[in-house]
Amino acid sequence: MDLQGGGRRADLVGLLARLIVGAVLIWAGALKVTSPAVSARAVNAFQILPYDVARYVGYALPLVELLIGLLLVIGLFTRVAAVVGGLLMVAFIIGIASAWARGLSIDCGCFGGGGTIAASQTQYPLDILRDLAVAACAAWLVVRPRTAYSLDRRLFG
Amino acid sequence: MRPDAKKKLAAAAPKKGPNPAIIGAVIAAVMVLAVVVAIVVGNSGKSSGTGAAAQPKGVVAGDAGGILANPVPAKSNAPTVDLYEDFQCPVCGQFEKAMGPSLASLAAAGEVKLVVHTLTFLDDNLKNDSSKRSANAVACAADAGKFLDYHAAVFAAQPAKEGDGYTDAQLTEFATTAGITEPALTTWQQCTSSGQHAQYVLDTQTAAEKAGVNSTPTLKLNGKDITKTLSAPEALVAQIKAATK
Repeated sequence: MDLQGGGRRADLVGLLARLIVGAVLIWAGALKVTSPAVSARAVNAFQILPYDVARYVGYALPLVELLIGLLLVIGLFTRVAAVVGGLLMVAFIIGIASAWARGLSIDCGCFGGGGTIAASQTQYPLDILRDLAVAACAAWLVVRPRTAYSLDRRLFG
Repeated sequence: MRPDAKKKLAAAAPKKGPNPAIIGAVIAAVMVLAVVVAIVVGNSGKSSGTGAAAQPKGVVAGDAGGILANPVPAKSNAPTVDLYEDFQCPVCGQFEKAMGPSLASLAAAGEVKLVVHTLTFLDDNLKNDSSKRSANAVACAADAGKFLDYHAAVFAAQPAKEGDGYTDAQLTEFATTAGITEPALTTWQQCTSSGQHAQYVLDTQTAAEKAGVNSTPTLKLNGKDITKTLSAPEALVAQIKAATK
């Protein structure tokens, strides 16, 4: 299969994938970036990383999400941005699945909030499905980063 | 060289324009810088040192432990209850309404060591400072020997809408309700307005997070989290009795 082929239609699918991953990341980052302490606690609530590491991840994550999201929306360094975005999604899926498997009742804190909630309010399957869908879009872009209306094309041809 | 080949060569040569490697390096550098700045800014407000924190009276188990709420020393065989609450947490308000009186009477009878950890994470969620101010105020009340009374007064006046918080005037009213009178009231006022226990309050939140407490209310009986088993005060009293050796 010629992955770089497919012409205009495939370029438009790529554009859609870029906008989906980019929009989700920008949305998630923007909702968390103004309250980094909340984000840090949400990461800590997963009880995976040591406390201090969780703090740093919590502070840095919203900014990374915003930056990667922005790169994807404008279509700059699409492949690299999609690799990072896809790895983020994989990490999120592992974290959520792990919390689910260990019987924790937490809000993933994906779009702000976080911490322990009532067991009936958890939505692990939904969170994982959403992240899987985004990861699939990112995978498309890693394999075929050429998309319509991208800055990559403008700058590098 | 034939003119035709020359044309083809020119077409195959890289186009003039920004060097992708340089642009990539610049963007990578900006990202790393942003993350570093975020971490530095994020940590600047928080002092990690706990040595300088003024400890309120009755603090147990290290610098950032909870406050022992017993008005009288507990019996030697009494189990320990660690209660983690945020004054702005509505579920804590409901918990206090249901369980507070039972816990207070057990503490008054010395049948339980009641250790209260006043958490303040809701300030960050609600974007105000009421949890920290009220936690500092109750620590000042502990200095006056009125921790439980002040604690009860705050929860009794919890706003109907989460996030409305407490005014300074309210915090002063609670002191009167708690029975803090002159000259202790003046000391309490100074302690409260100067934020004397502000660092202790921050340390308490950090210590709770490190202990895996990430929601309120959380109730631990002899170190074991039993929050989910508490449907009625009777269940709590029964478990405390069962844990009494």
